[in-house]
Amino acid sequence: MRRRTRDLLHNRFAAFVAKKVVFYLIVAFVAMTFVFFITHLMPGNPVDRMIASLTSGGPGGGQTYLKLKAQLMDYFGLNKPLFEQYLIFWRELFTLNLGPSYPINYPQSVLSIIILRLPYTLAIVIPVLLLSFFLGNWIGAKAAYAGGKRSELVYFFSVFSNRLPSFWFGMVLVFVFAGVLKIFPGYGLASLGTMSSWKLSYFLDVLEHYSLPFITLFIIYVGGWATGMRSMVTHEMDSGYVRYSEQLGFRKNKLMSYAERNAILPQVTGLNLQLNALIGETAILEIIFGWPGIGKMMFDAVGADDYMLIFGGFMVIMVVVILGNFLIDILYGFIDPRIRTGGRQ
Amino acid sequence: MSETLLRSKKFIVGLAIVIAIAMIGIIGPYLTRDPLKENWNAVAQPPDSDYLLGTTVLGEDVLAQLCTGIRNSLEVGVLAGGLGTLIAVLFGALGAYKGGWADEISSFVTNVMIVFPMIPLLLIVSELTQQRSLMLVGLLIALFYWPWAARSIRSQVLSLREREFVDLARLSGMRDATTVVTEVLPNMLAYIIMVFILLAGGGMLAEAGISMLGVGPSNSVTLGQMLFHAMNETITPYWWGVWWWFIPPGIVLTFFLSAVFVMHAGMNELFNPRLRRE
Repeated sequence: MRRRTRDLLHNRFAAFVAKKVVFYLIVAFVAMTFVFFITHLMPGNPVDRMIASLTSGGPGGGQTYLKLKAQLMDYFGLNKPLFEQYLIFWRELFTLNLGPSYPINYPQSVLSIIILRLPYTLAIVIPVLLLSFFLGNWIGAKAAYAGGKRSELVYFFSVFSNRLPSFWFGMVLVFVFAGVLKIFPGYGLASLGTMSSWKLSYFLDVLEHYSLPFITLFIIYVGGWATGMRSMVTHEMDSGYVRYSEQLGFRKNKLMSYAERNAILPQVTGLNLQLNALIGETAILEIIFGWPGIGKMMFDAVGADDYMLIFGGFMVIMVVVILGNFLIDILYGFIDPRIRTGGRQ
Repeated sequence: MSETLLRSKKFIVGLAIVIAIAMIGIIGPYLTRDPLKENWNAVAQPPDSDYLLGTTVLGEDVLAQLCTGIRNSLEVGVLAGGLGTLIAVLFGALGAYKGGWADEISSFVTNVMIVFPMIPLLLIVSELTQQRSLMLVGLLIALFYWPWAARSIRSQVLSLREREFVDLARLSGMRDATTVVTEVLPNMLAYIIMVFILLAGGGMLAEAGISMLGVGPSNSVTLGQMLFHAMNETITPYWWGVWWWFIPPGIVLTFFLSAVFVMHAGMNELFNPRLRRE
C-alpha cells in the first residue's frame, strides 16, 4: 500500500492530473465568488427591477409596494448580512438548488430548465469543436506540404473564414439559404406546429434546423485550425531534425508523421482557448437561429430580468468550460510524451 | 523599425485596409445625414442614388449609420485595446521581470482569467448596468480580454530580461519598475503595438457580440447595434428583405479583423525570430 502511494507520488502524470484538479477547483471558486459579489455589490436591487417589470413602470410607492418588496427580499434572503448570503449561496450551489425561475416560468426550478436546455448547446459545441479540429488540421497540414500557391490560397481563405464574425455570418447564411434559396429553415428547433416525438421525421426536421448553425461555426473554426496548423507544419518541415532525417534518406511519409506529431501539440493547447471562444459564440448564434440552448435561455432571461435564470445559465456554462478544459488538459498529458512517461523508471 | 515594417507586404496591405476603414469612421459622419433621423417617406428602401446603402425600417440612412457605427465601434475598440494592453503589460511584464512570487501570482491570475467564458461574463455584468455608455462597454471588454495578451507579453519579457543591457540597468541600481519601463518595454514596443492592435480588433468584435445579446452600448449607433436592430426591429424577419441593413456592418467588421490579423502576421514574421525568414 505504501509503495503504491509512493509510486503515485512519483508518477508525474498523476501529479499533473492532481495539479490540474486543484487549479480548476480554484477557477470555479474564483468565478462563482466573483459573480456573487459583483451581483450583490452592484447598485440597484434586483427586487426593485422585478417589481418594476411586474408593475410595468417605475418602482411606485405606497404600502403594497413596500410590503411586496419586503416579502421578496425575505424570500430571496437579500436582507441577511452579505457574508451570510455568500455562505448560503455556496450551500445552495452544492445541493444544486439554484432557486426558481422568476418571473418567466415561475414555479419551475432553474435547474430543471437548464437540464432541458443544456443538451442543445452541447449538441453544437462538441461536434463543432472536434470535427473542425480534425478537418482544419488536416487541411492545414496538406497545405503546408503542398507549398507555393496552393498554400498561400489556403492561408488566405482560412484567415478570412476565421475572421468572419460568427453571428453576422450566421445571419448571411440564413438570408441566403433560408431567405433566397429556401433550402434550409432559418429559425427554431423544428418546423412550426410539429410536436416533439421519437419519430424519424421529427429527427430529420430537427437535423435540418441544426444544419445552418452548425455549418456557420464549422466553417469559421476549420479556418482557425487550418491557419495554425499550416504555419506550424511549415515551421517543423523547415527545422533541423526534419532536414537531417531527409538527408539520411527517410521517406517523405515518415518525415511528415514526425512533423505532424510536433505540430499537433500546440494545436491541442489551442483547444482550451477555442472551446472558451466557441461557447460564447454558440450562445450568440442560438439567439439568431432560435436554437433553444443555454444562450437563447440567457437572452430571454435578460429580456425579462430573470436573475436566477441568468446566474444559473452562467454557472452551468462555467461548469461546462471547466470540465472541458480539464479533459483537454488531460488529453494533452496523454499526447505529450514528456508528461505521459516522465518519472516512471 | 518603420523601414523594416515597410518591407512586409502583409503589414502594408493590412495597414492600408485598417486606415481606410478608420478614415470612413473619422470623416464619414461629417459628410452623411443624421444617422438617427427617421424619414417615414423612405422606409426600408433598397440602395438607390439618394440613399446609397438604402434605409432601415424606420427610414434611417444606412450609410450614415455605418459611418457613425464605424466611429463608435472604433472608439470602443481603441479604449478596450488601450486599457487591455495596459493591464496585460502590468500583469505580463512586471511579474515576469521580478520573477519568484510576483511571477507566480501574476501568471496564476492570468491563467484563471483565461478560463473564464468572456461573453457570458460580459452578459451578466452588462445586464446589471442599466445605462451603458461607449466608455463603459470599452472598459468592461478591457477588463476581461487581456489575459492571453499578458501571457504572450510575459514570454517576451522572460527572454528579454536575460539580456546584457537589462543586467547593466539592474547593476547600476535602477529600480525594478523603472527598468521595466525604460529598458525592457521600449525593446518590445513593436510587440506591444501588435498586442494593442489585436486587442482593439477583438474589442470591436466583442462589442458586436454583446450588442447581439441585447446588452451593448445604449442609445448609440455601433456596428453591433446595427446588426442587433436589423435582426430585432423588423416586422418581417430580417432574412426576407432588408439585407442592405445587416450586410454592410458585417463586411466592415470582417475586413477590419482580417486586416488586423494580416498586419499582426506580417509584424510577427519580422520581429519573431522563430518565424523570421531570410
